[in-house]
Amino acid sequence: MTTRTPDASVHVRDLRKHYVVHEKEPGFLGSLRSFVNRKSRDVEAVRGVSFDLQPGEVVGFLGPNGAGKTTTLKMLSGLLHPSGGEARVAGFEPRRREADFLRRITLVMGQKQQLLWDLPALDSFLVNQAIYEISDAQYHATMREFTEVLGLAGILKKQVRKLSLGERMKCELAAALLHRPQVLFLDEPTIGLDVNMQESVRAFIRDYNERYGATVILTSHYMADVTALARRILVIDAGQLVFDGDLAHLAGRGSGGKRVRLQLRQSVSEAHLARYGSDVKVDGLSAELTVPRAEVSARAARLLADLDVADLTVEDPPIETVMAELFGGREAERV
Amino acid sequence: MTRYLRLIRIFTGATLSAQLEYRANFFGAVLASLGEVGVALLGIAVLFGQPGTAAVGGWSFHQALLVVGLFMLTEGFISVFVQPNLTKIAEAVRTGSMDFTLLKPIDAQFGVSTRYLNMLRVTDLLIGAGLTVSAASHLPVTPGGVLTAALLYLSALVMVYCIWLALSTTAFWFVKTQNVSELFSGVFGAARFPVTAFPVPVRAFLTFVVPIAFITTVPAQALTGTLSPALAVASPLVAAALFGLTRLFWLKAVASYTSASS
Repeated sequence: MTTRTPDASVHVRDLRKHYVVHEKEPGFLGSLRSFVNRKSRDVEAVRGVSFDLQPGEVVGFLGPNGAGKTTTLKMLSGLLHPSGGEARVAGFEPRRREADFLRRITLVMGQKQQLLWDLPALDSFLVNQAIYEISDAQYHATMREFTEVLGLAGILKKQVRKLSLGERMKCELAAALLHRPQVLFLDEPTIGLDVNMQESVRAFIRDYNERYGATVILTSHYMADVTALARRILVIDAGQLVFDGDLAHLAGRGSGGKRVRLQLRQSVSEAHLARYGSDVKVDGLSAELTVPRAEVSARAARLLADLDVADLTVEDPPIETVMAELFGGREAERV
Repeated sequence: MTRYLRLIRIFTGATLSAQLEYRANFFGAVLASLGEVGVALLGIAVLFGQPGTAAVGGWSFHQALLVVGLFMLTEGFISVFVQPNLTKIAEAVRTGSMDFTLLKPIDAQFGVSTRYLNMLRVTDLLIGAGLTVSAASHLPVTPGGVLTAALLYLSALVMVYCIWLALSTTAFWFVKTQNVSELFSGVFGAARFPVTAFPVPVRAFLTFVVPIAFITTVPAQALTGTLSPALAVASPLVAAALFGLTRLFWLKAVASYTSASS
Protein backbone atom coordinates (compact mmCIF):
# COMPACT_ATOMS: atom_id res chain seq x y z
CA MET A 1 0.00 0.00 0.00
CA THR A 2 1.31 3.41 -0.84
CA THR A 3 0.62 6.10 1.69
CA ARG A 4 0.47 8.78 -0.93
CA THR A 5 -3.07 9.36 -2.10
CA PRO A 6 -3.22 10.06 -5.77
CA ASP A 7 -3.95 13.72 -6.26
CA ALA A 8 -5.92 14.18 -9.43
CA SER A 9 -6.84 17.80 -8.83
CA VAL A 10 -6.32 20.64 -11.28
CA HIS A 11 -5.60 24.22 -10.22
CA VAL A 12 -5.35 27.04 -12.70
CA ARG A 13 -4.60 30.66 -11.84
CA ASP A 14 -4.62 33.51 -14.34
CA LEU A 15 -3.31 31.29 -17.13
CA ARG A 16 -2.24 33.15 -20.27
CA LYS A 17 -0.90 32.31 -23.70
CA HIS A 18 0.22 34.65 -26.47
CA TYR A 19 1.18 33.55 -29.93
CA VAL A 20 2.93 35.36 -32.69
CA VAL A 21 1.16 34.61 -35.93
CA HIS A 22 2.21 35.49 -39.46
CA GLU A 23 -0.26 37.13 -41.71
CA LYS A 24 -0.38 36.65 -45.42
CA GLU A 25 -2.62 38.16 -48.03
CA PRO A 26 -4.22 35.63 -50.36
CA GLY A 27 -2.73 34.79 -53.74
CA PHE A 28 0.76 34.46 -55.10
CA LEU A 29 1.64 38.15 -54.79
CA GLY A 30 0.56 38.06 -51.18
CA SER A 31 2.79 35.04 -50.61
CA LEU A 32 5.72 36.77 -52.29
CA ARG A 33 5.22 39.90 -50.20
CA SER A 34 4.98 37.79 -47.07
CA PHE A 35 8.13 35.85 -47.99
CA VAL A 36 10.15 39.06 -48.30
CA ASN A 37 8.57 41.00 -45.49
CA ARG A 38 6.70 38.95 -42.94
CA LYS A 39 4.01 40.71 -40.99
CA SER A 40 3.41 39.25 -37.59
CA ARG A 41 0.79 39.95 -35.02
CA ASP A 42 0.53 39.00 -31.38
CA VAL A 43 -2.56 36.94 -30.62
CA GLU A 44 -3.77 36.43 -27.09
CA ALA A 45 -5.30 32.97 -27.19
CA VAL A 46 -5.86 32.62 -23.46
CA ARG A 47 -6.23 35.74 -21.32
CA GLY A 48 -6.19 34.97 -17.62
CA VAL A 49 -8.17 31.79 -16.98
CA SER A 50 -8.65 30.50 -13.40
CA PHE A 51 -10.48 27.44 -12.07
CA ASP A 52 -10.07 24.48 -9.71
CA LEU A 53 -11.14 20.90 -10.26
CA GLN A 54 -11.61 18.34 -7.52
CA PRO A 55 -10.27 14.82 -8.05
CA GLY A 56 -12.82 12.74 -9.92
CA GLU A 57 -14.74 15.70 -11.27
CA VAL A 58 -15.96 15.68 -14.87
CA VAL A 59 -16.29 19.09 -16.49
CA GLY A 60 -17.39 20.17 -19.90
CA PHE A 61 -15.25 22.83 -21.47
CA LEU A 62 -17.27 24.84 -23.98
CA GLY A 63 -16.71 27.79 -26.20
CA PRO A 64 -16.77 28.79 -29.86
CA ASN A 65 -13.97 27.80 -32.22
CA GLY A 66 -10.80 29.66 -31.44
CA ALA A 67 -11.95 30.57 -27.92
CA GLY A 68 -8.85 29.02 -26.37
CA LYS A 69 -10.12 25.58 -25.30
CA THR A 70 -7.45 23.53 -27.03
CA THR A 71 -4.70 25.98 -26.09
CA THR A 72 -5.73 25.68 -22.45
CA LEU A 73 -5.74 21.88 -22.59
CA LYS A 74 -2.33 21.89 -24.25
CA MET A 75 -0.92 24.11 -21.52
CA LEU A 76 -2.41 21.85 -18.84
CA SER A 77 -0.85 18.79 -20.44
CA GLY A 78 2.56 20.46 -20.70
CA LEU A 79 2.72 20.75 -24.50
CA LEU A 80 2.69 24.53 -24.52
CA HIS A 81 4.51 26.76 -22.11
CA PRO A 82 2.14 29.38 -20.66
CA SER A 83 3.05 33.04 -21.27
CA GLY A 84 1.81 33.83 -17.76
CA GLY A 85 -0.07 32.52 -14.78
CA GLU A 86 0.13 29.20 -13.01
CA ALA A 87 -1.15 25.69 -13.50
CA ARG A 88 -0.90 22.68 -11.21
CA VAL A 89 -2.15 19.34 -12.41
CA ALA A 90 -1.99 16.25 -10.15
CA GLY A 91 0.45 18.18 -7.99
CA PHE A 92 2.86 18.95 -10.85
CA GLU A 93 3.71 21.99 -12.88
CA PRO A 94 2.81 20.82 -16.42
CA ARG A 95 5.40 22.86 -18.34
CA ARG A 96 8.23 20.92 -16.69
CA ARG A 97 6.91 17.74 -18.29
CA GLU A 98 8.34 15.47 -15.62
CA ALA A 99 8.00 11.77 -16.37
CA ASP A 100 5.89 11.21 -13.23
CA PHE A 101 3.51 13.95 -14.36
CA LEU A 102 3.19 12.57 -17.89
CA ARG A 103 2.39 9.12 -16.49
CA ARG A 104 -0.60 10.58 -14.65
CA ILE A 105 -2.25 12.42 -17.50
CA THR A 106 -3.39 11.88 -21.02
CA LEU A 107 -4.49 14.14 -23.83
CA VAL A 108 -6.83 12.74 -26.45
CA MET A 109 -7.24 14.79 -29.58
CA GLY A 110 -10.09 13.69 -31.78
CA GLN A 111 -8.39 15.11 -34.84
CA LYS A 112 -4.92 13.68 -34.36
CA GLN A 113 -3.72 10.14 -34.08
CA GLN A 114 -0.85 8.46 -32.36
CA LEU A 115 -1.43 4.91 -33.62
CA LEU A 116 1.14 3.57 -36.07
CA TRP A 117 -0.58 3.80 -39.43
CA ASP A 118 0.84 0.69 -41.12
CA LEU A 119 0.52 -1.67 -38.17
CA PRO A 120 -2.34 -3.17 -36.16
CA ALA A 121 -3.36 -1.14 -33.10
CA LEU A 122 -2.01 -3.92 -30.89
CA ASP A 123 1.55 -3.01 -31.95
CA SER A 124 1.00 0.60 -30.87
CA PHE A 125 -0.33 -0.63 -27.55
CA LEU A 126 2.82 -2.69 -27.00
CA VAL A 127 4.98 0.36 -27.74
CA ASN A 128 2.98 2.34 -25.18
CA GLN A 129 3.24 -0.50 -22.69
CA ALA A 130 7.02 -0.25 -22.93
CA ILE A 131 7.07 3.56 -22.82
CA TYR A 132 4.85 3.74 -19.74
CA GLU A 133 6.48 0.67 -18.17
CA ILE A 134 3.16 -1.08 -17.64
CA SER A 135 3.53 -4.52 -16.09
CA ASP A 136 2.23 -7.45 -18.14
CA ALA A 137 -0.40 -8.19 -15.50
CA GLN A 138 -1.77 -4.63 -15.51
CA TYR A 139 -1.56 -4.45 -19.30
CA HIS A 140 -3.65 -7.59 -19.75
CA ALA A 141 -6.17 -6.55 -17.10
CA THR A 142 -6.59 -3.11 -18.71
CA MET A 143 -6.86 -4.57 -22.20
CA ARG A 144 -9.51 -7.05 -21.07
CA GLU A 145 -11.52 -4.25 -19.54
CA PHE A 146 -11.17 -1.87 -22.51
CA THR A 147 -11.93 -4.63 -25.00
CA GLU A 148 -15.18 -5.29 -23.18
CA VAL A 149 -16.32 -1.69 -22.65
CA LEU A 150 -15.23 -0.37 -26.05
CA GLY A 151 -15.97 -3.51 -28.03
CA LEU A 152 -12.46 -3.82 -29.42
CA ALA A 153 -12.55 -7.56 -30.09
CA GLY A 154 -11.78 -8.27 -33.71
CA ILE A 155 -10.34 -4.85 -34.62
CA LEU A 156 -7.08 -4.94 -32.65
CA LYS A 157 -5.26 -7.08 -35.20
CA LYS A 158 -6.32 -5.11 -38.27
CA GLN A 159 -3.95 -2.55 -39.73
CA VAL A 160 -4.88 0.88 -38.43
CA ARG A 161 -5.17 2.34 -41.94
CA LYS A 162 -7.89 -0.23 -42.68
CA LEU A 163 -10.05 0.70 -39.68
CA SER A 164 -13.12 2.90 -39.89
CA LEU A 165 -12.99 6.31 -38.22
CA GLY A 166 -15.04 5.05 -35.28
CA GLU A 167 -12.92 1.92 -34.81
CA ARG A 168 -9.78 4.00 -34.97
CA MET A 169 -11.08 6.46 -32.39
CA LYS A 170 -11.84 3.61 -30.00
CA CYS A 171 -8.30 2.31 -30.42
CA GLU A 172 -6.93 5.83 -29.96
CA LEU A 173 -8.80 6.11 -26.68
CA ALA A 174 -7.53 2.73 -25.52
CA ALA A 175 -3.95 3.68 -26.45
CA ALA A 176 -4.24 6.99 -24.62
CA LEU A 177 -5.67 5.43 -21.44
CA LEU A 178 -3.62 2.24 -21.33
CA HIS A 179 -1.44 3.63 -18.55
CA ARG A 180 -4.54 4.43 -16.45
CA PRO A 181 -3.99 8.18 -16.15
CA GLN A 182 -5.71 10.07 -13.34
CA VAL A 183 -6.31 13.27 -15.26
CA LEU A 184 -7.88 13.10 -18.73
CA PHE A 185 -7.87 15.97 -21.18
CA LEU A 186 -10.27 15.04 -23.95
CA ASP A 187 -10.35 17.40 -26.90
CA GLU A 188 -13.27 16.57 -29.17
CA PRO A 189 -13.09 12.82 -28.55
CA THR A 190 -16.25 12.14 -30.54
CA ILE A 191 -15.74 14.42 -33.52
CA GLY A 192 -16.97 12.94 -36.78
CA LEU A 193 -18.43 9.82 -35.16
CA ASP A 194 -21.95 8.57 -35.75
CA VAL A 195 -24.47 8.65 -32.92
CA ASN A 196 -23.95 5.03 -31.82
CA MET A 197 -20.22 5.41 -31.76
CA GLN A 198 -20.51 8.68 -29.83
CA GLU A 199 -22.65 6.89 -27.28
CA SER A 200 -20.14 4.07 -26.80
CA VAL A 201 -17.27 6.57 -26.41
CA ARG A 202 -19.34 8.42 -23.77
CA ALA A 203 -20.11 5.18 -21.96
CA PHE A 204 -16.43 4.34 -21.94
CA ILE A 205 -15.44 7.72 -20.49
CA ARG A 206 -18.15 7.48 -17.83
CA ASP A 207 -17.07 3.96 -16.93
CA TYR A 208 -13.41 4.96 -16.71
CA ASN A 209 -14.24 7.97 -14.53
CA GLU A 210 -16.27 5.83 -12.12
CA ARG A 211 -13.81 2.96 -12.00
CA TYR A 212 -10.64 5.00 -11.43
CA GLY A 213 -11.98 8.24 -9.99
CA ALA A 214 -10.18 10.12 -12.76
CA THR A 215 -10.62 13.84 -13.29
CA VAL A 216 -11.89 14.61 -16.79
CA ILE A 217 -11.96 17.80 -18.82
CA LEU A 218 -13.91 17.39 -22.01
CA THR A 219 -14.39 19.69 -24.96
CA SER A 220 -16.91 18.82 -27.60
CA HIS A 221 -18.93 20.20 -30.44
CA TYR A 222 -21.73 17.86 -29.47
CA MET A 223 -23.87 19.20 -26.66
CA ALA A 224 -25.00 15.65 -25.92
CA ASP A 225 -21.45 14.68 -24.91
CA VAL A 226 -21.35 17.40 -22.35
CA THR A 227 -24.85 16.98 -20.96
CA ALA A 228 -24.34 13.20 -20.71
CA LEU A 229 -21.02 13.33 -18.89
CA ALA A 230 -20.49 16.61 -17.10
CA ARG A 231 -22.38 18.26 -14.27
CA ARG A 232 -20.10 21.27 -14.21
CA ILE A 233 -19.47 23.47 -17.21
CA LEU A 234 -16.70 25.92 -17.97
CA VAL A 235 -17.40 28.32 -20.80
CA ILE A 236 -14.53 30.16 -22.43
CA ASP A 237 -14.90 32.96 -24.93
CA ALA A 238 -12.15 35.03 -26.54
CA GLY A 239 -9.63 33.57 -24.11
CA GLN A 240 -11.57 34.35 -20.95
CA LEU A 241 -13.74 32.25 -18.70
CA VAL A 242 -17.29 33.60 -18.93
CA PHE A 243 -19.09 30.90 -16.97
CA ASP A 244 -18.16 28.31 -14.36
CA GLY A 245 -20.97 26.37 -12.70
CA ASP A 246 -23.66 23.73 -12.95
CA LEU A 247 -25.10 22.74 -16.25
CA ALA A 248 -28.52 23.68 -14.82
CA HIS A 249 -27.34 27.19 -13.96
CA LEU A 250 -25.94 27.68 -17.41
CA ALA A 251 -29.30 26.75 -18.84
CA GLY A 252 -30.91 29.36 -16.59
CA ARG A 253 -28.45 32.05 -17.48
CA GLY A 254 -29.88 33.03 -20.81
CA SER A 255 -31.54 36.43 -20.62
CA GLY A 256 -34.62 34.99 -22.30
CA GLY A 257 -35.75 33.16 -19.20
CA LYS A 258 -37.88 30.03 -19.46
CA ARG A 259 -39.79 28.63 -22.34
CA VAL A 260 -43.49 27.96 -21.81
CA ARG A 261 -45.21 25.45 -24.09
CA LEU A 262 -48.99 25.48 -24.37
CA GLN A 263 -51.49 23.04 -25.76
CA LEU A 264 -54.72 25.00 -26.34
CA ARG A 265 -58.32 23.97 -26.90
CA GLN A 266 -59.15 27.13 -28.86
CA SER A 267 -56.81 28.92 -31.21
CA VAL A 268 -55.38 32.20 -30.01
CA SER A 269 -53.64 34.84 -32.11
CA GLU A 270 -49.92 35.57 -31.80
CA ALA A 271 -50.69 39.19 -30.97
CA HIS A 272 -52.87 38.11 -28.10
CA LEU A 273 -50.23 35.79 -26.65
CA ALA A 274 -47.57 38.51 -26.97
CA ARG A 275 -49.17 40.13 -23.91
CA TYR A 276 -47.93 37.22 -21.79
CA GLY A 277 -44.37 36.83 -23.08
CA SER A 278 -41.88 37.34 -25.90
CA ASP A 279 -40.72 35.29 -28.86
CA VAL A 280 -44.15 33.83 -29.49
CA LYS A 281 -44.69 30.95 -31.90
CA VAL A 282 -48.11 29.60 -32.76
CA ASP A 283 -48.73 26.44 -34.75
CA GLY A 284 -52.42 25.54 -34.79
CA LEU A 285 -53.35 24.71 -31.23
CA SER A 286 -49.72 24.50 -30.06
CA ALA A 287 -47.92 27.62 -28.96
CA GLU A 288 -44.75 28.55 -27.19
CA LEU A 289 -43.42 31.72 -25.68
CA THR A 290 -40.60 32.89 -23.44
CA VAL A 291 -41.28 34.47 -20.05
CA PRO A 292 -38.88 36.12 -17.61
CA ARG A 293 -37.48 33.64 -15.13
CA ALA A 294 -38.72 35.50 -12.04
CA GLU A 295 -42.30 35.69 -13.27
CA VAL A 296 -42.79 32.16 -14.49
CA SER A 297 -45.43 31.13 -11.95
CA ALA A 298 -47.35 34.41 -12.12
CA ARG A 299 -47.52 34.38 -15.91
CA ALA A 300 -48.38 30.69 -16.03
CA ALA A 301 -51.26 31.29 -13.60
CA ARG A 302 -52.58 34.15 -15.76
CA LEU A 303 -52.32 32.01 -18.92
CA LEU A 304 -54.27 29.22 -17.25
CA ALA A 305 -56.90 31.64 -15.97
CA ASP A 306 -57.33 33.68 -19.17
CA LEU A 307 -57.14 30.99 -21.84
CA ASP A 308 -58.58 27.57 -22.44
CA VAL A 309 -55.38 25.58 -21.84
CA ALA A 310 -55.23 21.80 -22.18
CA ASP A 311 -51.61 21.47 -21.12
CA LEU A 312 -48.80 23.75 -20.02
CA THR A 313 -45.12 22.90 -19.56
CA VAL A 314 -42.21 25.07 -18.51
CA GLU A 315 -38.67 24.20 -19.50
CA ASP A 316 -35.17 25.61 -19.70
CA PRO A 317 -34.15 26.69 -23.17
CA PRO A 318 -31.89 24.21 -24.99
CA ILE A 319 -28.25 24.69 -24.07
CA GLU A 320 -27.46 25.60 -27.68
CA THR A 321 -29.72 28.64 -27.38
CA VAL A 322 -28.05 29.76 -24.18
CA MET A 323 -24.62 29.37 -25.72
CA ALA A 324 -25.71 31.32 -28.77
CA GLU A 325 -26.89 34.12 -26.48
CA LEU A 326 -23.68 34.04 -24.47
CA PHE A 327 -21.65 34.42 -27.62
CA GLY A 328 -23.91 36.95 -29.28
CA GLY A 329 -25.07 34.60 -31.98
CA ARG A 330 -21.61 33.59 -33.16
CA GLU A 331 -21.15 29.92 -33.87
CA ALA A 332 -24.71 29.45 -32.71
CA GLU A 333 -25.07 25.80 -33.73
CA ARG A 334 -21.55 24.71 -33.05
CA VAL A 335 -20.70 25.45 -29.48
CA MET B 1 19.35 2.72 -19.12
CA THR B 2 18.07 -0.84 -19.56
CA ARG B 3 14.64 0.70 -20.02
CA TYR B 4 15.91 2.78 -22.93
CA LEU B 5 17.60 -0.27 -24.48
CA ARG B 6 14.34 -2.17 -24.15
CA LEU B 7 12.52 0.72 -25.83
CA ILE B 8 15.00 0.69 -28.73
CA ARG B 9 14.30 -3.02 -29.15
CA ILE B 10 10.54 -2.46 -29.21
CA PHE B 11 10.78 0.53 -31.57
CA THR B 12 13.01 -1.53 -33.87
CA GLY B 13 10.53 -4.40 -33.85
CA ALA B 14 7.62 -2.11 -34.71
CA THR B 15 9.45 -0.27 -37.48
CA LEU B 16 10.74 -3.53 -39.00
CA SER B 17 7.25 -5.01 -39.14
CA ALA B 18 6.01 -1.82 -40.78
CA GLN B 19 8.73 -2.01 -43.43
CA LEU B 20 8.06 -5.66 -44.18
CA GLU B 21 4.61 -4.53 -45.30
CA TYR B 22 6.18 -2.94 -48.35
CA ARG B 23 8.49 -5.46 -49.99
CA ALA B 24 9.03 -3.86 -53.37
CA ASN B 25 10.69 -0.93 -51.68
CA PHE B 26 13.59 -3.16 -50.69
CA PHE B 27 14.90 -3.70 -54.21
CA GLY B 28 14.82 -0.01 -54.97
CA ALA B 29 16.84 0.62 -51.84
CA VAL B 30 19.52 -1.93 -52.80
CA LEU B 31 19.87 -0.29 -56.22
CA ALA B 32 20.22 3.11 -54.55
CA SER B 33 23.05 1.80 -52.36
CA LEU B 34 24.88 0.33 -55.33
CA GLY B 35 24.50 3.58 -57.23
CA GLU B 36 25.88 5.51 -54.30
CA VAL B 37 29.00 3.37 -53.97
CA GLY B 38 29.47 3.41 -57.75
CA VAL B 39 29.61 7.20 -57.81
CA ALA B 40 32.03 7.31 -54.88
CA LEU B 41 34.36 4.75 -56.48
CA LEU B 42 34.17 6.53 -59.83
CA GLY B 43 35.45 9.65 -58.12
CA ILE B 44 38.70 8.08 -57.02
CA ALA B 45 38.96 5.98 -60.18
CA VAL B 46 39.14 9.21 -62.18
CA LEU B 47 41.88 10.58 -59.95
CA PHE B 48 44.02 7.46 -59.72
CA GLY B 49 43.24 6.21 -63.21
CA GLN B 50 45.65 8.76 -64.74
CA PRO B 51 48.83 6.96 -65.83
CA GLY B 52 51.67 7.46 -63.35
CA THR B 53 49.46 8.73 -60.52
CA ALA B 54 50.47 6.91 -57.35
CA ALA B 55 49.24 9.48 -54.85
CA VAL B 56 46.87 12.45 -54.77
CA GLY B 57 47.56 15.14 -52.18
CA GLY B 58 49.77 12.68 -50.32
CA TRP B 59 47.11 9.94 -50.28
CA SER B 60 47.80 6.58 -51.92
CA PHE B 61 45.06 4.69 -53.72
CA HIS B 62 44.26 2.44 -50.76
CA GLN B 63 44.31 5.35 -48.31
CA ALA B 64 41.84 7.19 -50.52
CA LEU B 65 39.77 4.01 -50.75
CA LEU B 66 39.72 3.91 -46.97
CA VAL B 67 38.16 7.37 -46.94
CA VAL B 68 35.54 6.22 -49.46
CA GLY B 69 34.80 3.21 -47.26
CA LEU B 70 34.29 5.40 -44.20
CA PHE B 71 32.19 7.77 -46.29
CA MET B 72 29.89 4.91 -47.35
CA LEU B 73 29.73 3.65 -43.78
CA THR B 74 28.68 7.11 -42.61
CA GLU B 75 26.16 7.35 -45.45
CA GLY B 76 24.77 4.05 -44.24
CA PHE B 77 24.64 5.28 -40.66
CA ILE B 78 22.73 8.35 -41.80
CA SER B 79 20.30 6.45 -44.03
CA VAL B 80 19.60 3.69 -41.52
CA PHE B 81 19.58 5.50 -38.20
CA VAL B 82 19.60 9.28 -38.52
CA GLN B 83 17.56 10.33 -41.55
CA PRO B 84 14.45 8.16 -40.99
CA ASN B 85 14.04 9.69 -37.55
CA LEU B 86 15.13 13.27 -37.87
CA THR B 87 13.42 14.08 -41.16
CA LYS B 88 10.16 13.19 -39.40
CA ILE B 89 10.62 16.05 -36.94
CA ALA B 90 9.53 18.63 -39.49
CA GLU B 91 6.50 16.57 -40.49
CA ALA B 92 5.59 15.96 -36.85
CA VAL B 93 5.76 19.68 -36.10
CA ARG B 94 3.72 20.55 -39.18
CA THR B 95 0.96 18.02 -38.52
CA GLY B 96 1.07 18.37 -34.74
CA SER B 97 1.88 14.71 -34.09
CA MET B 98 4.90 15.97 -32.16
CA ASP B 99 2.30 16.41 -29.41
CA PHE B 100 2.27 12.67 -28.79
CA THR B 101 6.05 12.48 -28.56
CA LEU B 102 6.12 15.28 -26.03
CA LEU B 103 3.32 13.70 -23.99
CA LYS B 104 5.24 10.48 -23.40
CA PRO B 105 7.18 10.00 -20.16
CA ILE B 106 10.45 9.38 -21.97
CA ASP B 107 13.05 11.89 -23.06
CA ALA B 108 11.61 13.49 -26.18
CA GLN B 109 14.99 13.80 -27.90
CA PHE B 110 15.53 10.09 -27.36
CA GLY B 111 12.03 9.48 -28.71
CA VAL B 112 12.50 11.41 -31.95
CA SER B 113 16.00 9.99 -32.48
CA THR B 114 15.35 6.28 -32.04
CA ARG B 115 11.79 5.74 -33.11
CA TYR B 116 12.46 4.49 -36.64
CA LEU B 117 15.07 2.56 -38.60
CA ASN B 118 15.42 2.23 -42.32
CA MET B 119 16.58 -1.35 -42.60
CA LEU B 120 16.32 -1.11 -46.37
CA ARG B 121 19.57 0.83 -46.47
CA VAL B 122 21.53 -1.63 -44.36
CA THR B 123 23.38 -2.58 -47.54
CA ASP B 124 25.10 0.83 -47.38
CA LEU B 125 26.52 -0.14 -44.02
CA LEU B 126 27.70 -3.51 -45.32
CA ILE B 127 29.33 -2.04 -48.43
CA GLY B 128 30.98 0.69 -46.35
CA ALA B 129 32.34 -1.79 -43.82
CA GLY B 130 33.56 -4.10 -46.61
CA LEU B 131 35.37 -1.27 -48.44
CA THR B 132 36.94 0.01 -45.21
CA VAL B 133 38.25 -3.42 -44.20
CA SER B 134 39.54 -4.34 -47.65
CA ALA B 135 41.30 -0.96 -48.05
CA ALA B 136 42.82 -1.28 -44.58
CA SER B 137 44.11 -4.76 -45.35
CA HIS B 138 46.39 -3.24 -48.01
CA LEU B 139 47.81 -0.74 -45.53
CA PRO B 140 50.18 -1.19 -42.59
CA VAL B 141 47.82 -0.78 -39.63
CA THR B 142 48.62 -1.31 -35.95
CA PRO B 143 46.11 -2.44 -33.26
CA GLY B 144 46.58 0.95 -31.58
CA GLY B 145 45.73 2.64 -34.87
CA VAL B 146 42.55 0.58 -35.21
CA LEU B 147 41.47 1.43 -31.67
CA THR B 148 42.14 5.16 -32.10
CA ALA B 149 40.38 5.15 -35.46
CA ALA B 150 37.36 3.40 -33.93
CA LEU B 151 37.12 5.95 -31.13
CA LEU B 152 37.54 8.87 -33.50
CA TYR B 153 34.96 7.42 -35.84
CA LEU B 154 32.55 7.15 -32.93
CA SER B 155 33.09 10.87 -32.27
CA ALA B 156 32.45 11.40 -35.97
CA LEU B 157 29.09 9.65 -35.76
CA VAL B 158 28.13 11.76 -32.77
CA MET B 159 28.97 14.89 -34.79
CA VAL B 160 26.93 13.70 -37.76
CA TYR B 161 23.96 13.05 -35.49
CA CYS B 162 24.31 16.44 -33.79
CA ILE B 163 24.53 18.41 -37.02
CA TRP B 164 21.50 16.58 -38.38
CA LEU B 165 19.56 17.11 -35.19
CA ALA B 166 20.43 20.81 -35.03
CA LEU B 167 19.35 21.30 -38.65
CA SER B 168 16.14 19.30 -38.16
CA THR B 169 15.29 21.07 -34.93
CA THR B 170 14.97 24.36 -36.81
CA ALA B 171 11.65 22.87 -37.96
CA PHE B 172 10.14 24.02 -34.67
CA TRP B 173 10.42 27.56 -36.00
CA PHE B 174 10.52 27.17 -39.78
CA VAL B 175 8.24 24.12 -40.03
CA LYS B 176 9.38 23.02 -43.48
CA THR B 177 13.05 22.14 -43.55
CA GLN B 178 13.70 19.62 -46.34
CA ASN B 179 16.14 22.05 -47.92
CA VAL B 180 18.12 22.13 -44.73
CA SER B 181 18.82 18.41 -44.90
CA GLU B 182 19.66 18.80 -48.60
CA LEU B 183 22.22 21.35 -47.49
CA PHE B 184 23.78 18.78 -45.20
CA SER B 185 23.93 16.12 -47.90
CA GLY B 186 25.49 18.60 -50.30
CA VAL B 187 28.29 19.61 -47.98
CA PHE B 188 28.73 16.07 -46.67
CA GLY B 189 29.47 14.89 -50.22
CA ALA B 190 32.93 16.44 -49.77
CA ALA B 191 33.67 13.79 -47.13
CA ARG B 192 34.23 11.16 -49.82
CA PHE B 193 37.59 12.76 -50.56
CA PRO B 194 40.46 13.12 -48.07
CA VAL B 195 40.19 16.66 -46.79
CA THR B 196 43.95 17.17 -46.90
CA ALA B 197 43.77 16.68 -50.65
CA PHE B 198 41.88 19.96 -50.97
CA PRO B 199 43.52 23.40 -51.22
CA VAL B 200 44.31 24.95 -47.82
CA PRO B 201 41.33 27.38 -47.59
CA VAL B 202 38.85 24.62 -48.45
CA ARG B 203 40.58 22.35 -45.97
CA ALA B 204 40.24 24.96 -43.21
CA PHE B 205 36.56 25.46 -44.07
CA LEU B 206 35.87 21.72 -43.95
CA THR B 207 37.66 21.38 -40.62
CA PHE B 208 36.64 24.42 -38.64
CA VAL B 209 33.42 25.68 -40.16
CA VAL B 210 31.72 22.40 -41.00
CA PRO B 211 33.58 19.58 -39.27
CA ILE B 212 33.61 17.30 -42.33
CA ALA B 213 37.31 16.52 -41.85
CA PHE B 214 36.60 14.81 -38.55
CA ILE B 215 34.10 12.44 -40.09
CA THR B 216 36.15 10.49 -42.64
CA THR B 217 39.64 11.98 -43.01
CA VAL B 218 40.62 12.00 -39.34
CA PRO B 219 39.68 8.35 -38.59
CA ALA B 220 41.41 7.30 -41.82
CA GLN B 221 44.55 9.16 -40.79
CA ALA B 222 44.42 7.52 -37.37
CA LEU B 223 44.25 4.11 -39.04
CA THR B 224 47.25 4.82 -41.25
CA GLY B 225 49.22 6.47 -38.44
CA THR B 226 49.45 9.87 -40.13
CA LEU B 227 47.18 11.78 -37.73
CA SER B 228 48.45 14.82 -35.85
CA PRO B 229 47.89 14.50 -32.07
CA ALA B 230 46.09 17.86 -31.99
CA LEU B 231 43.33 16.61 -34.32
CA ALA B 232 43.09 13.35 -32.38
CA VAL B 233 42.33 15.27 -29.20
CA ALA B 234 40.13 17.81 -30.94
CA SER B 235 37.72 15.29 -32.43
CA PRO B 236 36.11 13.95 -29.21
CA LEU B 237 36.08 17.46 -27.76
CA VAL B 238 34.27 18.85 -30.78
CA ALA B 239 31.82 15.93 -30.59
CA ALA B 240 31.10 16.50 -26.90
CA ALA B 241 30.70 20.26 -27.38
CA LEU B 242 28.36 19.74 -30.33
CA PHE B 243 26.31 17.25 -28.34
CA GLY B 244 25.92 19.68 -25.47
CA LEU B 245 25.00 22.57 -27.75
CA THR B 246 22.45 20.61 -29.77
CA ARG B 247 20.89 19.37 -26.53
CA LEU B 248 20.40 22.98 -25.39
CA PHE B 249 19.11 23.93 -28.81
CA TRP B 250 16.63 21.04 -28.72
CA LEU B 251 15.34 22.02 -25.27
CA LYS B 252 14.91 25.60 -26.42
CA ALA B 253 12.99 24.45 -29.48
CA VAL B 254 10.65 22.27 -27.40
CA ALA B 255 10.01 25.18 -25.05
CA SER B 256 8.91 27.36 -27.94
CA TYR B 257 6.80 24.62 -29.54
CA THR B 258 3.45 26.01 -30.58
CA SER B 259 1.73 22.79 -31.67
CA ALA B 260 -0.34 22.71 -34.86
CA SER B 261 -3.99 23.58 -34.40
CA SER B 262 -6.26 20.86 -33.08
